[in-house]
Order: sequence, then structure tokens, then C-alpha cells
Amino acid sequence: MPPSIHPVDLVATLRQKNLTPAIIFLTSRRACDEAMQAFERSQVVLPKSRQEQIAGVLTQVTTQFPSIAEHPLIGTVQRIGVAAHHAGHLPSWKIAVEELMRTGSLDAVFATTTLAAGVDFPARTVVVTQSSIRKARDFTDLTASEIQQLAGRAGRRGKDLVGFAVITPSPYIDLTVLTKGLTGQPEAIHSQFVISYPMVLNLLKAHPREQIQPILAKSFAQFQLNQRTAVLETKLDGLRAEMEPFGPRVCSDWITQWNIFDHARKRKKPRGPAARQESPDVTARLNFLTPGRVVGLTRGRGIILRQYRSKGQHAPMVTLLRDGGALNECPASIVTQVFDRTFECDETSTYPWTTPQTLDQLTHHLADLPPRLPILPILLHPDEDMPLDSSIIHTLGDFPCPSCPSRQACHRDFPRASRVRQEIHRHTKSIQALQTSLWHRFQERIDVLERFGYLNPRAQLTADGEWARLIRIDHSLLITELIRAEAFGAIDPPLLAAIMASIAHDDDRPGSFPRGSAGLVTLLFQVRKLAESLMPHEEPPMLRADVAALTERWVADQTLTWIGLARLTTMAEGDMFRLFARTIEFLSQLKTLKSTHPSLAESADRAIAAMRRGVLEELP
Amino acid sequence: MTTYELEQLLLQQPVSLLHRLARGRISRHFRSGKRKLIDLLLHASEQNRPGLESDLIALIEEPTRRQPAAPAEKLPQAQAHPRTVGSPAAHRPHRIEDHGHHEPPVSLHDWLSGIGVPPPQPFVPDAWQVDALAQLAETDVVVSVPTGSGKTYVAIEATARAMRENRTVIYTSPLKALSNTKFTEFSRLFGPDQVGILTGDRRENAQAALLIMTTEILRNLLYDAAGGEIDVRLDTLGLVIMDESQYLADPERGVVWEETLIFCPSQARLLLLSASIGNPQDIADWLTAIRPTPCSLIRHTKRSVPLRAGYLHPNEKLTPLFRTAGIPYGQPHLLHPEAKRLFAEYEEETGPSRSR
Repeated sequence: MPPSIHPVDLVATLRQKNLTPAIIFLTSRRACDEAMQAFERSQVVLPKSRQEQIAGVLTQVTTQFPSIAEHPLIGTVQRIGVAAHHAGHLPSWKIAVEELMRTGSLDAVFATTTLAAGVDFPARTVVVTQSSIRKARDFTDLTASEIQQLAGRAGRRGKDLVGFAVITPSPYIDLTVLTKGLTGQPEAIHSQFVISYPMVLNLLKAHPREQIQPILAKSFAQFQLNQRTAVLETKLDGLRAEMEPFGPRVCSDWITQWNIFDHARKRKKPRGPAARQESPDVTARLNFLTPGRVVGLTRGRGIILRQYRSKGQHAPMVTLLRDGGALNECPASIVTQVFDRTFECDETSTYPWTTPQTLDQLTHHLADLPPRLPILPILLHPDEDMPLDSSIIHTLGDFPCPSCPSRQACHRDFPRASRVRQEIHRHTKSIQALQTSLWHRFQERIDVLERFGYLNPRAQLTADGEWARLIRIDHSLLITELIRAEAFGAIDPPLLAAIMASIAHDDDRPGSFPRGSAGLVTLLFQVRKLAESLMPHEEPPMLRADVAALTERWVADQTLTWIGLARLTTMAEGDMFRLFARTIEFLSQLKTLKSTHPSLAESADRAIAAMRRGVLEELP
Repeated sequence: MTTYELEQLLLQQPVSLLHRLARGRISRHFRSGKRKLIDLLLHASEQNRPGLESDLIALIEEPTRRQPAAPAEKLPQAQAHPRTVGSPAAHRPHRIEDHGHHEPPVSLHDWLSGIGVPPPQPFVPDAWQVDALAQLAETDVVVSVPTGSGKTYVAIEATARAMRENRTVIYTSPLKALSNTKFTEFSRLFGPDQVGILTGDRRENAQAALLIMTTEILRNLLYDAAGGEIDVRLDTLGLVIMDESQYLADPERGVVWEETLIFCPSQARLLLLSASIGNPQDIADWLTAIRPTPCSLIRHTKRSVPLRAGYLHPNEKLTPLFRTAGIPYGQPHLLHPEAKRLFAEYEEETGPSRSR
């Protein structure tokens, strides 16, 4: 069985079950194009009347968008009644396909999931072939909202009584993701508020710095932070109630008092084995567990070879030679009796901690030991847990604690009380952070802008800031810095458009492209150096030289046709269109600097005029 | 039983039995193919081998135990025989008992029935559409309804009303392509001289009563107005419609929606159109908190055209995806037994080759 259904069979099945027209969401543009090719090879042909209907709609759309007339797919679409619709196509072609769907002339459209929001046409059936989607170079499961957005295209109001969402498996599909998405609640949305440099400049243009914080407080980001604050507040109330029994005692802040006292007491105490949490009999025995000593264990007897402390817990440990010559590393507490018998033992610094000869002898000795051995009486120090030494109390003279009447209670309650108090501190701090985080981020931006000279120390716009605030696009800091560095002094329109294109383009889809001119290469090198120097303050753009070269060619060579340009590169037409549209958007921002940078604005204007021809002229 | 014997015994079982065996032992066992499933089973029950063995034997014996009680069930149980689509409930009586669903799963015939074009009838707006328009006369409105419910109708009616009152309307959408579609659509409805479009690279008929633009452009207009360069359009601005407002959560562009909503002139009504989202009440509450007029929420989850889900196997076999004809909201486990079996089969055949 093939890993997934063949597109021709898929459409045939849908046709047979009367489930067309359908939108079939595939994983990639390539999958959509391959599906179309599969149809071209197949012998499926629409009846004459349907073909004429499609031709009629296409002619109608062509009057509005002439570029469609020469689209290579027209014949195929007309013959088979199926089309592809993805970001690699020109917008005019996508409009034509949408119009065909709206008039019900097509049986199926292959579309990519990535553009689900842009697919604004319904169908009777939606076919889903995947459960994950490529986002930023990584595959993530579709969310319930996304799945419902896809499935929502099924069922045309007024044209269908029911809509169908059909899942057909392909490798890597996870059915549970899809069933959960279809039946589940859409996810809650969260604010994605970021503070950009143009935002700071524009806000400070209209408002003094003191009024900014209330404005930021009006954001959805702050609204959602406040919701989190409310949760923390209720937690805090609970903690405060828990804190009630630990109110003021003999001293008002007894927790801090006890804390300091405790620390001081620990510091004064002589450090050593006694300070550890060991039972007193183990501690007392430790002194006798020397190499060569015969000891009684919980089971059998053994000879100590080494005594040491474990690395992590510093627990007392011994290495034991046991019956039959076995070597064990055990906690010292395994020793139950210490016998009054020791053997000669040549110690060495590595395993088995003694010379091989000694080990042999000791093994023999152990085997030959009489059943009864005299036990060494070991004196315990029962007063180990005694209250403080009088001398220590003397040195702790400043503390009232040792003689305080509530000492017992403090000692008992301190661990819990201090934990609760720490929690309260932590929550209070987080609440504070939630309340001020936006303002802090805003201030960080102010500092950067002040350092670069767009703001004066009183956070007012400088002359540079006045024009820089008009650049309201991504990478605004890089662009304004380029303008200030006079990189665009008396720049040619093609070069300016090329640089803007390389800043605007954020797609890493690989492709082959024409080469840029020498002037472009040098300038791009300088732009890249500047972008890297701005790295701490702004993420550098991709600055692809190939994309820049393509734009340069389009602007410089006015005789170049769109089809001629498309032949120069492997970039999809739709991507080229988007690149140029975005570049024009960036250039039109530069055009607004007419009063301060007339020659740059002039150059941008000429670049826009030069770019807008052919298919770029078609759409409003 | 040695590990080897157990493995061989498991290999002889149909994969559906293995899935039943894996229930509770392995999370997401539904994803694995047969080979992988056996490995996982053996690995997961290293500690409790006897438990696995006894469960396995109980499952193997189950059909034979049932045989005298219901001899008719024997046929569909055998793998070699094709299963009839009409009575898939008979294959897994225990499943029904498991979940307490006594009605049989929907048949393909029933699932496919009812396809057709509704008879043409005069357009009657839905209750929520009427409600949204009524609310908009008094307050700002957030609309959160499923895709394809007819949000555009609300937008058009609200626009017509504002234009009758000689007020400017701004309609924003996140994508230039959508702006263009709406421009064409609204030009057809209101007349080309009444509609203008502003996008990043072009402005056409910029003084029209209804302006279509991307949200970024509106944000820039608002900044210009705040910065002192007064734009006449904003004085008479009566209504701002923001389509696809769930873009508020877009990682890159969401901030633009927030800026626009914060600086939107207070005399203008807001109409936010959004696909179904989890927390539309939050957005309404937020707008109520920051704007002088309160904001009401119109929300419904019922689709105007009912939706059914199906499963199409690569061998062109079509079955319903869920036991019910419609989508069982909140109950993703109510899979149609036939879809479940086919998908398990698919996993079994494609799974191992993937791991190899």
C-alpha cells in the first residue's frame, strides 16, 4: 500500500461520493505542484460544458488581470478542473483560482496549510493530510485553532446542507492531534507585545516620559499580566493567612532574629564529625575503624581496609574485606561490633587499599578467626545533643534568644515560618516584576535611543529622532543608522531598492539568482558590518546578496519582462512578488523623509516608479 | 514463558489486540506500528511479565469464549474476511461496554446522506448577527464565531449604517490579499467611488467613506494623528472594523493590533471579528477596561453548516471518523471502530519502514 493516497484517486473518490468541490491541504508547495503534474499525466478530462464554464470565468478575471492570460497552467486547469493555490503563485492567479472556486467551477484545489488564513474560499469538503506544520524550521503539531480554521472551510453557507472534513493519512500523521483538534476548544490567545524603537519614538513624540507608563498599562499584554498578578495575589493571601500564627513574639521580628542567631550558633560550633547528622554510636565507633581492625557486621564479620567519607553526603564509609575475599564499600553504620583484634595491614593509596600480599594474609586470617572474639567496649557521649555550651552563650551575648522564654516555640516554628515568609517575598517580587516589566523594557529602549542620539537625556526627540520616527518597519534602527552614516548619500535607485530588498526579505528558501554589480557587493558588505555592530540592540536581517541582485536587475533594466526575470532565478513567482511588494513598502517609508532627506526620498520615489511595472501594477 | 516465546506469541496476534494490550501500559501506543508496539510492550512490562502474559492470554481467549454466546460474530472477527461497513459495532462489543455507549456507530450511508444544496430561501440573518448589530449601536463589539459563519454580513450591515450617518469607516485586515478581496467585494456593494484602499505600497481613493487597509497602515495613521499631523479622516471616523482579530496573538505582528486598539479614537465604535478563540471574554474585558464605551462579546460555537469528519484510507476506502455523524465535541476518543481499525492497519504497514 502506498504511504498516502494518490491525488488523482483522492479526487476521483471525492467525486464519486459527491464530496466535491474540495480543498485539499498538502504539506508543501512542492506536494501541490506534484499533485497537479500527476493530474496532467492522467487521462481524466472534464466534459465539454464544464470546460467552457471554467474558460468563461477565466476570461472574466483576465480582463481585470491581463497577466493571467499567459499563465502556463490555464490549459491544465481547464481540462481537469483541479488547481493549485499556494504562496508560490502570483496573487492574480490566486484570485483567479478563488473566483473559480466561488463559482463552483473546480472540483478540487490543492493548497498548503501554511496559508490557511489566506485561503478565503469555502468548499463542500476539506481534506487534511497532516497533523503537524513547519514553523521556523521545526515541525510543530497543529493547534486546535488551526485545525478548526482548516476544517472551517468545509460547508458553504447557502450552497451546502453539510460540510465534510476528511482526514487521509500520510507518513508522520498523528490521528490523536487531529481528533483532539476537531473536538476540542480552540486555544486561548496571548499577547505578543514587543516594544520597538519606532513605538518608543512615536510615543515620546506625542507624550512626555511621565505619561508613558499609563499608556503601556492599557495594553493587552498588561491586561494579561494583571490576570497573572491576580492569581499570585490570591496565593499571597493564602500565604499571609498561613503566616498568622507566626506573628510577633517576644521580639517583633523573631524570624529574622532566630535566623541570625541560628547562623551565629552554627558558625561558633566547632566543625567536625559531631556536627553531622550521625547517630552517636556510629560517631563513637569511627575512631576505632582503622585498617586491619576486625569488626562484626549485620551478617558475618570483616576486616576494615580503609575509612573514608562519601563524596556527596560526606557520610562515613568503610571498605571491608569479607568472608571469601570479597571487597565491599559500605556505610560505617553496617558495623555492629568492634572486636579487640587487629592485623598488620600495609596500606596503599589505590584499590584494594593494601598490598596484594596483605590482602591474601588478611583473607586467611579472617577465615581462621575463632567464632568468639572479645568485643571492644565503646564509650558513647550521650550529651552530644546538649543545649549550648556556656562559652558559646557568652560569645552570643548580644542575642536574647538563648535565655528567651519563647525559645522553644521559635525553635519549633522557625523552618515553616521562614519558608512561608520566603514564599511571600518571592510572590511579592514577581507581582512587582509583572507590574513594571513593560515599563522596564520601554526604558531599556529609551536608553539605547539616547545613546544613538535619537533622544536627548530628558527623553525628548532630537532632530534625528523627529525623522527617524517615520520609519515604522522592521529593522528600523539599521535603516536609520544607514541614513545617518550617509550610506545612501547620492544613491542610484536600483542600488537603494536592492539594499532595501535584502533588508526586507526574511525567507531562507534557497534558490539560484543572478549576480549583483560590484557597487552593490561593496555596499552590501558595509551594510552587513553595520548590522553586525547593531547586533546587541537589534536582530540583524538576513541581507541576502542574491535577492538584492535580483531586485537591482529588475529596477535597473527597464526592458526586462516579468517572465524574463523569472527565468533568471529559481525563486517562485509568488515569492518574487512578495519580495518586491515588501521592498516597495520599505521604500515608501523612505519617501516620507522628503523634508529632511530630499535626495534619498527622490531616489526612493524613482525606485518605486521603476519597480511598479508588469504584474506589480495589476493589484491595488 | 521466555521472552522469545512471548515475543513470538505477540507477533502472531493482530495489531488491534496489541493496541488493546498496550492500553494503560504505553502512552500514545496508537502511533506505533506492530514491531515497535511489541518492543514497547516487552520493555514496559519488564517488571510485571506475568501480568502482561495473563492479560494477553485473556485477550486471546476472549473471542473463543464469546463464540457460543454469539456465533454470528465469528465471521467478522476473522482477519481474512472483509468487514461490512454497516455493522462495525458487532466487531467490538466490549468497546461499547467500555465506554457505556449503547447506540451503534454511524454507518457510512447515514454519514454521507443529506449532501445537497439547500433550497433557495430569502436571506434571514442569524440571531447572533442581529444581536451583534443591535449591540454595536450601544457598545463596542467583539465577535468570536467559527469560520464561515457570516461575519462579513455583520461588517457590511454595520458599514452601511455608519455610512448612512455620514461617518467614515475603516476596515482592516491582516493580509494584503484579503484587503484586495474585500476591496473588490465592497466596491461591488457600495459603489467604487465609496471605497478606497491603502496598503503599504499603494493608496487609491484615500478620501472615500469606506477605507480598506492593513492594520499596520491604520497604526501609522494613528501615530501620525497623535504626533500632531492631523488626518482629517479621523475626525469623522465612526467605525473601525478589524477582521481576523485573532492576529492579536501573532508573534511578529500581534503588537500592531494592540497599538491600534490602544490608540483608536474614542469616538469611533470598534467591531472586532475573530475566528473561534479560547478567551474572547478576555479581549472584551480588556477593551472595556481601556475604552470609554463598554465592549460586549458575541460568541457562539455552533456552525451554520454542520460539519462531519471522515477518514479516507489510502486504498480509497472512506469511513466516518467518529461514532457519531457530527463531531462529538469534547470527546475525541469516540472514534469510529472502522476508522480506528484502518488507521491501525496503516500504522502497522507504514510504521516499521519509517523506523528502519
